[in-house]
Amino acid sequence: MNWAVAIKGACLAAMLALVGGSLIPSARAEDVTLTVWSHEADEPAKVAFRDQVASDLEKQHPGLHIKITWFEKNGLYTALRTALPAGRGPDVFYLEPDQLHQYVTAGYLLPLDDLVNWNQIYPWARAVWQENGKSWGIPQEVNDNVIYYNKDWAKKLGVVLPVGGQLSQSAFVDLVKKARAAGMVPIAQGVGDRPYPGAYIIGEALLHKLGKEDYAKLWTGKLSFSDPRVVEVLTWVKQLVDAGAYPKDFMTIKLGESFYYFYSKPGALMLPMGSFYSGRAFAPPDKGGQPADFPLGIMQYPAMDGGACNNCQTAGIGSSFVINAATKHPKEAAEFLDAMSTPASGAIWIGKVYEPGAMKTDITQFGGPHGAYLSELMESQKNVDPFIGMPLDLMTDGGCKDAFGQVLNSAFPGGLLSVDKAVQMMNAACYQH
Amino acid sequence: MRLWLSYVRRTPLLLFLLGYTILTGGPFLWVASMSLRTTSEIFANPYGLPRHPHWANFVDAWIGSNYSTYFWNSSLAVVSAVAGVTVVGAMAAHCLARYRFRSRRMIRFVILSGLVLPPQMLILSLFQILLDYQLYDTLPGLSLVYIATQLAMTVYLLEGFFSQIPQDLFDAARMDGYSDFEIFWRITLPIGVPAIFTTVILNFVILWNEFLYAVVLMTSDDKRTLPLGIMHFMGDHQLDVAMLATGLMIAIIPVALIYACFSETMIRGMTAGAIR
Amino acid sequence: MPQPAMGIRLPPAVVSWGRSSVDVWQPSPLTLTLFLGPAVLIFVGFTAYPVLRTFYNSLYLVGPKGAATFVGLHNFSQVLRADPVFWTAVRNTAIFTLVGTPLDVFGGLLLALCLFAGVPFARSLRVIWFLPVLMSYVVVGIIWVWIYDYDWGALNLLLHAVGLGRLEHSWLGDPATALWAVMAAHLWKWLGFNMIVFLAALHALPGDVLGAAELDNCGWIAKAIYIIIPMLRPTLVNLLVLSFIGKMMIFDLVWIMTQGGPLWSTETVSTYVYKRAFDWNTFDLGYPSAIAVLWFIIIIAFVLVVSWLLRQRDRLEF
Repeated sequence: MNWAVAIKGACLAAMLALVGGSLIPSARAEDVTLTVWSHEADEPAKVAFRDQVASDLEKQHPGLHIKITWFEKNGLYTALRTALPAGRGPDVFYLEPDQLHQYVTAGYLLPLDDLVNWNQIYPWARAVWQENGKSWGIPQEVNDNVIYYNKDWAKKLGVVLPVGGQLSQSAFVDLVKKARAAGMVPIAQGVGDRPYPGAYIIGEALLHKLGKEDYAKLWTGKLSFSDPRVVEVLTWVKQLVDAGAYPKDFMTIKLGESFYYFYSKPGALMLPMGSFYSGRAFAPPDKGGQPADFPLGIMQYPAMDGGACNNCQTAGIGSSFVINAATKHPKEAAEFLDAMSTPASGAIWIGKVYEPGAMKTDITQFGGPHGAYLSELMESQKNVDPFIGMPLDLMTDGGCKDAFGQVLNSAFPGGLLSVDKAVQMMNAACYQH
Repeated sequence: MRLWLSYVRRTPLLLFLLGYTILTGGPFLWVASMSLRTTSEIFANPYGLPRHPHWANFVDAWIGSNYSTYFWNSSLAVVSAVAGVTVVGAMAAHCLARYRFRSRRMIRFVILSGLVLPPQMLILSLFQILLDYQLYDTLPGLSLVYIATQLAMTVYLLEGFFSQIPQDLFDAARMDGYSDFEIFWRITLPIGVPAIFTTVILNFVILWNEFLYAVVLMTSDDKRTLPLGIMHFMGDHQLDVAMLATGLMIAIIPVALIYACFSETMIRGMTAGAIR
Repeated sequence: MPQPAMGIRLPPAVVSWGRSSVDVWQPSPLTLTLFLGPAVLIFVGFTAYPVLRTFYNSLYLVGPKGAATFVGLHNFSQVLRADPVFWTAVRNTAIFTLVGTPLDVFGGLLLALCLFAGVPFARSLRVIWFLPVLMSYVVVGIIWVWIYDYDWGALNLLLHAVGLGRLEHSWLGDPATALWAVMAAHLWKWLGFNMIVFLAALHALPGDVLGAAELDNCGWIAKAIYIIIPMLRPTLVNLLVLSFIGKMMIFDLVWIMTQGGPLWSTETVSTYVYKRAFDWNTFDLGYPSAIAVLWFIIIIAFVLVVSWLLRQRDRLEF
């Protein structure tokens, strides 16, 4: 046998097979791949939730492939801002309400009024995503702003509160001073990678003092920051800052790191946070989660003297999803959004993430390892009058948002600015006379 | 040439050497040690040694985070860009150094002015241009951009060196009947090896770790280059310091190994033929 | 003068034919195209055209869906008169460059002299000291963020151990120290490169001069200044230029370590342009283009001033 010829023949045959094989279409005509970009890569519970919804939907729909790419929030926003103008965006992506205005103005979102089943979503949650009379995003996560605290440490300092209890303005300052004296870090907080955590205490105090209407006016530029009530609140916060409430490296601690700072090392008394706390905190302890026996307590933000609405509390809409206006698969995209919002999905959401969701579900009946936490959270919300929307969600001007992130979120609680300077800078950026 | 100093006089020098070595090498050892521990161990004792090395970290990181794809993408983009810019740059430098023609001064000035161009001047427009040419989010597009960004520096370094080569060699070669290209190939290039070596290394180091253009001009996960992949990995594991350290080690080890093997070659290349 | 490496056949010396050799070096169009063509093409396509386009963009305000309105020099006047962040960024970048460049280059020279003086383990030290150069900014940035960590970072722990505990700072969180902290990390990465280049240059120096210079501990500083540095001048200028330009453009390290904070104390022009273009809410490329153009003009002015001061006519070599 002529080996040379045989080998050449074999090679030729192999090449033909490869080429021929690749010519045979391997996908059927109706196969659709839906690309989804999502934040919360580092929250295993939410990853598990969305992955499960995706695979369940794929099973119901042969031919539908859902490809989720996970990002960290800042990375996601950067990717979106470069991909969308290039026409290379995903079909569905994660967005938060504070981004609504500019994405709608730039024309990157598809209106969802006729695409999605709105009966599954609470109307007040839907309202957050409305602009110009249309609904642009489907809300998923509801964040209540609370203060998490270490019950044991609080007891040591002589403070015992019922679930969802509230301290007065002066009692709070006292607590901070006592904590410092006892060698504890009073408040764990970090603004290293987000434009809002430093302003939790300020924001809620302003809400309590001003009441809902004036509070909304403040962030939309209709109320001046030199209003005496605002100045009073800022002066009170300055007291806290001067008493050493925040950690020394407040400016550089990242959001996720501040959780660890609170419940592990070095440990802190309080953590003002949204209820998305559970997403990271309930990861396994050796992956950075809360220790198993941590004495977690939940309290309200302090009541302000002469406050207009001391039982008000901000409830923000957190994770939400939108559809790219340039998508070629609007129907399938809408199906995915719907699938994430069914009552059954709501049950999975709460069961995994331990947070309320924007989808209508009956919250009272959940067990599981953190069921007790969830009951406490619901209990703490009993007498609360919710105000929907974080400050950044209410602002529309880029300069104002930037100032918020640099001044009220970062420099003022970081002790770098006086009350007057902060008022001046915020007014310059936000107040429209 | 060895210059010997007495031991007493050398002590401050030795202390300084030791200190600087710890400063440069220490962090790597620390990250290496962290990558073999768990996060809780690290926070309990940040500078301790691993008690039970957790090699599984590395497997998780490599598989779970698509590192091989990023590595491959980086290699493709950077190697082709470095090869491209060296060839194009050397030819241009030779031409500018050797020949006299009317627009020489102007072309030289224009190309060298690219040296002081801040990337911000280019990045926004490059973004639009690549879109127009359908090269957005493609590795060839990124390579071309890399060649363009490094061209000015390469031409600057090589032209300076080539123009120092004695003209006699070239005149003699010309009389000998060498063609233009042969002159380039047989005289400029061999003599220019030290400079070429240096630019290759510099370009490689800069482009391998290049971040800004890659962030703006690439979006698909499967086309990410290594620096982007590392950043993405960091975002995925914010609380898990051990995994972060593992991710860093995966980024460090291949580069360190390659360098350790080639450092002699590199130095020899940079000092080609010189007296030691 | 470097000698040719082995392997080329030097043509025999030939008597000049009386024709000026300059004539022969008039390139044919084919030669020009072959040698210069690719470079010019790439330059025009990926450098010149984008630059012109940036100039063009800066005259517009780009609104939603790419609708651009011509605003003339409005963007520029906004940047110059109404943008305090821009001036802060310029100041920060200037400080970073003017302080960082000499530290970088002369530090590298110092290290190279140490190795050249024949210390033990010179070869291994060379490898270790060069390692940071090869590392990605992501690696360098994260390592140094950990070193600067207030609670468990190496720097604060070291200060504490040495008894200087009261100097402990949040290095990256304090506007007074953040820029210097980033600069230290940047130097850590690049000293090794300058060292290697100087080392190569030192080895290329004529041996007899150095022999006469006999470096000993007492007088070596003087000998270094008066003999070695002048001989290294071309390399020195080369590295100063490269370092200067590299530092003017700094982006990656700042972005990873501080993102321009706290309170804009590490905001550089590149990070600010990036933020306005990609982080702000408007998808407008006109304003950041104006910033880029202004920055370009500032750099050109600076380079012209410096080169006028140096009046360096020599060709630069290794």
